[in-house]
Amino acid sequence: MKLSFQWISDYVDLHDLTPETLADKLTGAGLEVEAITPRNQGVSGVVVGEVVACEPHPNADRLRVCQVNVGDGPLRTIVCGAPNVAVGQKVPTALPGAKLPGGSIGVAKLRGIESYGMLCSAKEIGLETKLLPKEQTEGLYVLPADAPVGADIVEYLGLDDVVLEIGLTPNRSDCLSIRGFAYEIAALLDRPTTFPEDVSPETSGASPVQVRIDTPLCQRYEAQAFTGVRTGPSPLWMQMRLMAMGIRPISLPVDITNYVMLEWGQPLHAFDLDEAHEHTIVVRQGRSDETLVTLDGESRELTEDTIVIADPDRAIGIAGVMGGQNSEITAQTKAVVLESAAFDAISVRKTGQRLGLRSEAQQRFEKGIDPQAVTGAIVRATQLFRDLAGAEAWGGVVRATFHDAYAQPTGTVVEFSPERCNRLLGTQHSEETMRDVFRRLGFTVESTEGQVWRVHVPPRRPDISLEADLVEEVGRLAGYDRIPTTLPVGPVTVGARNASQTLRKRTRDVLMSCGMSEVVTYALTHPSDLDKLRVSPDSPYRQMIPLLHPMSEERVALRTHLLPSLAQVAAFNMAHGVDGGAIFEIGRVYWPTKLPLEEQPCERTQWAGLWFGETEPGIGERARPYDFYDAKGVVETWLQALGWQDEVRFAPVQLSWLHPGRSAEVVLNGQRIGSIGELHPETGAAFDLHRAVYAEFDLDVLVSFLQTSWKVHRMPKFPASRRDLAVLVTKDVPVQALLDTAREVAACDEESILEDCRIFDIYTGKGIADGYKSVAVAFRYRADDRTLTDDEVVRVEQRILDAWTKKYGAVLRTN
Amino acid sequence: MNVVDIESTLQTLRHKAFEELRSLQDVRALDDWRVQYLGKKSELTQISRQMGALSPEERPVVGEKVNEARGALQRAYEEMQAELAQRELNRRFAEETIDVTVPGRRHARGSMHPLTQIIQEIEEVFLGMGYEVVEGPEIETDEYNFEKLNLPKHHPARDMQDTFYLTETLLLRTQTSPMQVRTMERMRPHVPVKVIVPGKVYRRDEDDATHSHMFHQIEGLVVDEGVRMSDLKGTLEHFARAIFGANQSVRLRPSFFPFTEPSAELDIRCTNCGGSGCRMCKGTGWLEILGCGMVHPKVLDGAGYDSRRYSGFAFGMGPERIAMLKYGIEDIRLLYQNDLRLLRQFNRVL
Repeated sequence: MKLSFQWISDYVDLHDLTPETLADKLTGAGLEVEAITPRNQGVSGVVVGEVVACEPHPNADRLRVCQVNVGDGPLRTIVCGAPNVAVGQKVPTALPGAKLPGGSIGVAKLRGIESYGMLCSAKEIGLETKLLPKEQTEGLYVLPADAPVGADIVEYLGLDDVVLEIGLTPNRSDCLSIRGFAYEIAALLDRPTTFPEDVSPETSGASPVQVRIDTPLCQRYEAQAFTGVRTGPSPLWMQMRLMAMGIRPISLPVDITNYVMLEWGQPLHAFDLDEAHEHTIVVRQGRSDETLVTLDGESRELTEDTIVIADPDRAIGIAGVMGGQNSEITAQTKAVVLESAAFDAISVRKTGQRLGLRSEAQQRFEKGIDPQAVTGAIVRATQLFRDLAGAEAWGGVVRATFHDAYAQPTGTVVEFSPERCNRLLGTQHSEETMRDVFRRLGFTVESTEGQVWRVHVPPRRPDISLEADLVEEVGRLAGYDRIPTTLPVGPVTVGARNASQTLRKRTRDVLMSCGMSEVVTYALTHPSDLDKLRVSPDSPYRQMIPLLHPMSEERVALRTHLLPSLAQVAAFNMAHGVDGGAIFEIGRVYWPTKLPLEEQPCERTQWAGLWFGETEPGIGERARPYDFYDAKGVVETWLQALGWQDEVRFAPVQLSWLHPGRSAEVVLNGQRIGSIGELHPETGAAFDLHRAVYAEFDLDVLVSFLQTSWKVHRMPKFPASRRDLAVLVTKDVPVQALLDTAREVAACDEESILEDCRIFDIYTGKGIADGYKSVAVAFRYRADDRTLTDDEVVRVEQRILDAWTKKYGAVLRTN
Repeated sequence: MNVVDIESTLQTLRHKAFEELRSLQDVRALDDWRVQYLGKKSELTQISRQMGALSPEERPVVGEKVNEARGALQRAYEEMQAELAQRELNRRFAEETIDVTVPGRRHARGSMHPLTQIIQEIEEVFLGMGYEVVEGPEIETDEYNFEKLNLPKHHPARDMQDTFYLTETLLLRTQTSPMQVRTMERMRPHVPVKVIVPGKVYRRDEDDATHSHMFHQIEGLVVDEGVRMSDLKGTLEHFARAIFGANQSVRLRPSFFPFTEPSAELDIRCTNCGGSGCRMCKGTGWLEILGCGMVHPKVLDGAGYDSRRYSGFAFGMGPERIAMLKYGIEDIRLLYQNDLRLLRQFNRVL
């Protein structure tokens, strides 16, 4: 909402305030001033000049040499290039020494002729050209014939104004008008408002208009008929005020309705009375199959939700949104009817949304208008029609209400306890302070005796209906800076993260300590990502929840898989000169139970990692592509940190986005908790990645397995016996199987002496037959109660070797 | 042999021994020297043995001279021994010297995303004040995201947040505030309710330098008997000081949210100019960082807490804005672009 400092000054005394001081007060009261813009963009020394002669320039086809009367002294010779310059025009004339937003003006020689100034266009004197009709923006800005020659243009156009741009919160619909702002500012400054008395204009005879309201969606409708309405442009002062408030001047009748709307917050509509058959206006709901061509030439469908202005035969306007073309005021119009009404906010809002329209009028209706302004505005507009448009009121205002109760708008009465007010704010405002706040706001307080007051709130403040609303008014006007700082008293509470949050935090810590960088990506993606993952058409991953109205083509549905997001990050980085990296995200995927969606879907929290490009080179360590085991090492470290390293198993798995020979599922307690593998070459290529390793884990499953309590192993009392074995097996034997077998064999004994066994070397190549590998395993044996003898150890070792030979054809390496 | 001869011999001996000692280069030569001059077969020992031939008067005089010579040689030997050891050590040091400016062997440190870092930091502040951290669904119902927050259908305040709808009744939450209602419904009639709710939210905004269609919020809610707006101000002052520095101050400015009344915006002193006014704070000296207020009576009553008995405060902040202020990130899109050249700068713990 724009606010003209000049205009508001008409209704509350601001002579001792600068626009900046006023802005601070408004911002401090919750009406945030977002910008302060002087209307004068740097114009001085420009006056109204009259072109008294205009000759072609002897040396230039496009220039004219004008003689301009600027009021005092001789005529000035001014060379002008504007095509529309003509004798008799009054135009803004910049004299030598004048300042314009574009620079200073001096005496200049143009093609041999001295020019003592410049004739100006609208743009050159800093007017908002986008609010002016095209013909006024091309060439000189021609002033009305009655413009006083020699007058200062800034003063004449009212440009010595400052416009405050205010970000109104939706509750303050009362401030969508100059008068509403005047009330607010008067309350803030504790000054009276200085509105003129509303004078009902003289009327002649009975009004020809009949009004009937057939829908509860219209509370009130008032109509005033006029004859002899002059059209043409509105006076310049009115145009300038409209422009200051960001409204385009159009024609006198339209400008008057807009001017009154800005002043009162009440939208008005003027139309051709004779186009309302039988001079009868019917306010009703739309009918199915009913259409209306609106002022913009579009054919609009009317529905039952739409409030329609009609005559007995047909629709002639969409209430609060746009008039009908069939009742538009034209040069042939003999009588005009002016409408001022209270339409249902929700209905107007829905209609506007349905039709994709959002006019100033509509915005005021949908936020709720002051029912008292319906009458005030029509009276004010009637004055202006009479004074400015030479119109004659034809009869008085015709008033109709849907219900008798609406005849006299009343405000609300809200109960208010000063004690509760202080208790909610934490303040110690006196009752006097509170009474004073209400007085300044124009609220009346009934019976200040006793604990609970009855506060009468005028209808112009529909945002106030509860005690809490009044508490805010007290807090606001007494000043939020008077609220002290305290901390809640009350019982001690224990701050806590839950198990899932803790698991995520720990996971993040471990992954970071393994050198991974966390990323955060968008949850909205595109289904075509799944093609890149090569998932089948009937895969559950295809069940992406779509947005009803996406904003862009690439973000249309909620992701079911984290890989595309990470792969895009990787590709972005590779394209920006990053050689490689290890990234992870802890985020949600969205799995609907059913599509189309009927209930809130399952939102699963996962972590996913992607290792792409090359490792960071170090001293004596060359960069190399990340591989499966880089990723697996991180995963194992993470599992170890969570205490699961012995329980998990990696087993080969087939997933469409992973390399079939280089991928594994990770199983914990018989349940798959995640997977890891090199990207399938086609998937990698689809994301512009040469090679990368991907891992993902379901944290929601893991939360249930979390064990937060555990005990240490006792320190051993007797020494361990360490032995190494190297065996030859075929390449396809998984080394994990050897370890598992060893443990199983050792566990057969009543007392297992195998404390630990691990792979320490795997070798193929020279000295090893094709298709075989040498696997070296380190064993550690120990007993709780004695030092083991060689015999004991060798016996177990031999059994392990036998089992390996039997199961996997292992041969002990002797060389 | 007489005393004079012996003395002269000793003199010569000492002279010769010192001469030789000075030219020694290593421990082995020193050992040979020791054997030669201080050993059992050394000249000095032989002189001692010859002492028997001297008169009883001469014996102590000569003995003293011999002992003195032995002592001097012994001291010289020890000094030389120490010096050679030192020389040896120095040689070793010189040989073993490395270039300490060569980078150390280290494991790459990863990095936490700046948003996570800020969210965790804020969580810690409120955990310290006894708040529980709760989270909720990103796919919400219209009822919880709007209606139960005093935002009925077709309320113009819905324009404040343009919404991604999934169906007529399901949507991507536009705020973490629905968790106010869900938390109260879960906890009623228990008080105090003290939670913060971090999470992702979505709005139909075109992505630009200051808008993102997906972003984060941290909601806070306290409900109890006798909760005051001054408690809200004090709590947020504590928060602002913990995050932006101990000398921060805050101010409340009236504002509007459908689910709080009274409502306010919280401003902190401009982190750029400290309050004197600059481009960043548009000359005001203050920066708006969050919206807050006293829980609206309709919301309290709707969630099962009688607004005549209980009151509460709520606040909602944007970690993106806080991260941008704190780290000088000028475009919100950088937080979602995940350029490792930016992210890797967040590998520090402070």
